Amino acid sequence: MTEPIAPVFHKVGNRRHEVVLSPDGASEWRRARVPGLRRHWLKWRGGYNPKTLERERRLADKRPLWWVLGLGALVVAVPFLPNSLVQVAAIFCIFAAINVVWTLIIGAAGILSLATMAVVGLAAYGAAAANVYLGVPWPLMFVVGAGIGLVVGGLLALPSTRIDGLYYALLTIGVAEICRVSISQIRALAPQNSSINNVGSFIPQDWYLQRPGLLLGFASAVGLLLAALLLFRLVNSERLGLLLQSAREDEEFSEAIGIDYKRARLHVFLISSAALGFIGAYYAIFYRSISLNVFSLDQLLLMFAMVVIGGLGRAEGAVIGTAIVVVIDRALIDLGPLRIILIAAVMIAVTLTTHRGLADVRAQFRAWRHRIRSERRATRTRKGGEVMPEEATEIADKQAIAYRRFDKRLRDRLKSLITPALIEEHRNAPLGPHSDDLARVLNYFRRGEMPDKYAILQDGPPHAWTYSVMALSGEPGKPPRVVDDKTYATRDEAYHAVFLLRVNDLLES
Amino acid sequence: MDPSLIVYALNLSAIYALMAIGISLLWSSIGMLNMAHGASFAVAGYGALVISGAVFPWLKGLLGGTVLLPYVQVVVLLGAGVGVGALFGVLIYLLAFLPIHDKANFAVRGMIVTLAINLATVQALLWWFGPRQQSLPNVFGFGRLTVLGLPVRYDQAVTITATVLMLGAVLWWLKASRKGLEIRAMMQNAEGAALSGISVRRTALPVMAVTGAMAGAAAVLLSQTVYVSPGAGAMPLIKGMIIALLGGLGSVPGAVAAALLIGALEAATGAIPFLGQRMVLLVQFGFIIAVLIVRPRGLGGLLDETRK
Repeated sequence: MTEPIAPVFHKVGNRRHEVVLSPDGASEWRRARVPGLRRHWLKWRGGYNPKTLERERRLADKRPLWWVLGLGALVVAVPFLPNSLVQVAAIFCIFAAINVVWTLIIGAAGILSLATMAVVGLAAYGAAAANVYLGVPWPLMFVVGAGIGLVVGGLLALPSTRIDGLYYALLTIGVAEICRVSISQIRALAPQNSSINNVGSFIPQDWYLQRPGLLLGFASAVGLLLAALLLFRLVNSERLGLLLQSAREDEEFSEAIGIDYKRARLHVFLISSAALGFIGAYYAIFYRSISLNVFSLDQLLLMFAMVVIGGLGRAEGAVIGTAIVVVIDRALIDLGPLRIILIAAVMIAVTLTTHRGLADVRAQFRAWRHRIRSERRATRTRKGGEVMPEEATEIADKQAIAYRRFDKRLRDRLKSLITPALIEEHRNAPLGPHSDDLARVLNYFRRGEMPDKYAILQDGPPHAWTYSVMALSGEPGKPPRVVDDKTYATRDEAYHAVFLLRVNDLLES
Repeated sequence: MDPSLIVYALNLSAIYALMAIGISLLWSSIGMLNMAHGASFAVAGYGALVISGAVFPWLKGLLGGTVLLPYVQVVVLLGAGVGVGALFGVLIYLLAFLPIHDKANFAVRGMIVTLAINLATVQALLWWFGPRQQSLPNVFGFGRLTVLGLPVRYDQAVTITATVLMLGAVLWWLKASRKGLEIRAMMQNAEGAALSGISVRRTALPVMAVTGAMAGAAAVLLSQTVYVSPGAGAMPLIKGMIIALLGGLGSVPGAVAAALLIGALEAATGAIPFLGQRMVLLVQFGFIIAVLIVRPRGLGGLLDETRK
């Protein structure tokens, strides 16, 4: 007796390497929720494998995974890097935090404000001044910074409801310049070139610019970035963000259903400004000093480049863009002015090729691929009804694919059988006896689908019947339709007419 | 009040008007905010510097001693600035307009690309010419005229006259020529113009060249008093932008009025002792924000419906 051969299953399909869990189908599914919210931590989706009918579970949204991988790699790698790169990593985290909050203003609130660095700088100056001149301890600087950010944000928000979009953007470009000029006017700061030094910090004085101090700074910067991301998530994906999303899609409609989107916008703007003020205070504490460079137009343009390269309006875009620009700007410092040109070139290339920055490249690529596929399909699927390979991946019932392939081959063979002699044979004897070829053709016709199947209508007075051809609708309750206005005197003629129609359909398919 | 202040104000207004009308025209006709206008300004300044450095010794040999020399020099210098500015405008057209003008989200993407061009150009100039400020050869002379009882320096006189002539020519071109008609049609209704057979690409090219040329002219005229440097374009760009905003983007009369207002404001602020030159920007911004809060579409504000 021969041993049965064990079946071998090969993984097929576009995503054959995707990790799929196979949970125990009998037990209950328990998913943890985020405390205080109704959301789950991860977007698991359950289903059944169509082939094996086993229960399976896959992660529908893998972005949290990428976040953990990316930031985790950064945190793991930095302790092994030289001092200069540790500092670059810390700067990356601070700028990424600023950009994430800025993204909240641009993306969620839809206010194209370029006054970010002005808010950060003013809060940094205010907090530093409070620490150095009023003796406020450094932990309270964050409160001072956030307060200043809130006030400045409130002032900036006043014209934003009145002046729209691009006008507001252009106006806010100048705010940083105004701040720079105003602070340079302060006489008390003039001896130290308008900067405030010796700000108190969580990094002890003797650790400053030493290895432990740098690592501590980096750790705190990572914490800052995580806090910014949390804020983004809380504002953008919860109630405020949803209100604003409706306003972004259709302002008038959202107003009509009672959403006060202007108020929501203002709230987001104020929250973000307070957060920017907080980051400003951190900035002063991190560097232990603050100078007028915060307000420079070049700095603002670099920040804008970061946000734009990543894509306006998405947290991952802000972080990716910041990573690219900080690496070019700080790590390739040997290139001199060339690196700014490089950044500009990246900015132009990204803007010309992508619709919404690098974060959106995947969706854009998919849309493009989808379009190309459907164009190809439109040119190909007309060939005899056989399923083309790219269409086949989208048909769940693989039997249908096999059937269509078989049907096409059968029709190709039957077409070659149809000759004038065969038609003549059928005309002479519609009900047989048939030759082998004619029997094959007729057998194929007999098992055709019910929709549009032909039938013969017998009409007129008894013994003077006439015959005509109809087509069945295939739907219960829906009457057949008349095919043409020809009538036939005998039943054989009508049989032959149906045969000719079917032959015609076969040859045309 | 010092009467020379009026001339000073007019001089500033002339240069601002050249910048602002360029920005305004571009926005209203092709819907692009040209942030590289400052780069056009700086590049044209350097272009004029290089060309004059190459041509003037040869001119001196050819026409040395004749009365013609200063006039030819003026024409060459202005021509160089205008020509280089126009060429740079064409470059912006090729880089920032042609690839994306019919794509999604053009207004913001165009602004970003031109901003990047600005950034790259300033750094390229810095790299090539160094950060040192350089001065253009003074071709207008150092004398003074008296017009209507006001003392006017030669360069101020040339600036004001040249600006008026150039703006007049551009406005006449917009009004009288076939191309101008097409541009005005696009300003009124871009889609309608396209439907009646006006090619957006072919219309945008001369607009970009002309606005670039205006920036070039402004660069040469201003460089008679201010030096040429890689970052020289930033301030004219910001000023031009806010004047264009104040005038209402797209309105030429509005831009002219706004330029006059801002020029006068700048001259006055600089002259008032407790404000001084350093507060000029602050005062201007305060003024513009106040105006925009009252009239969100600026002084002209006629394009409420067409371009949003």
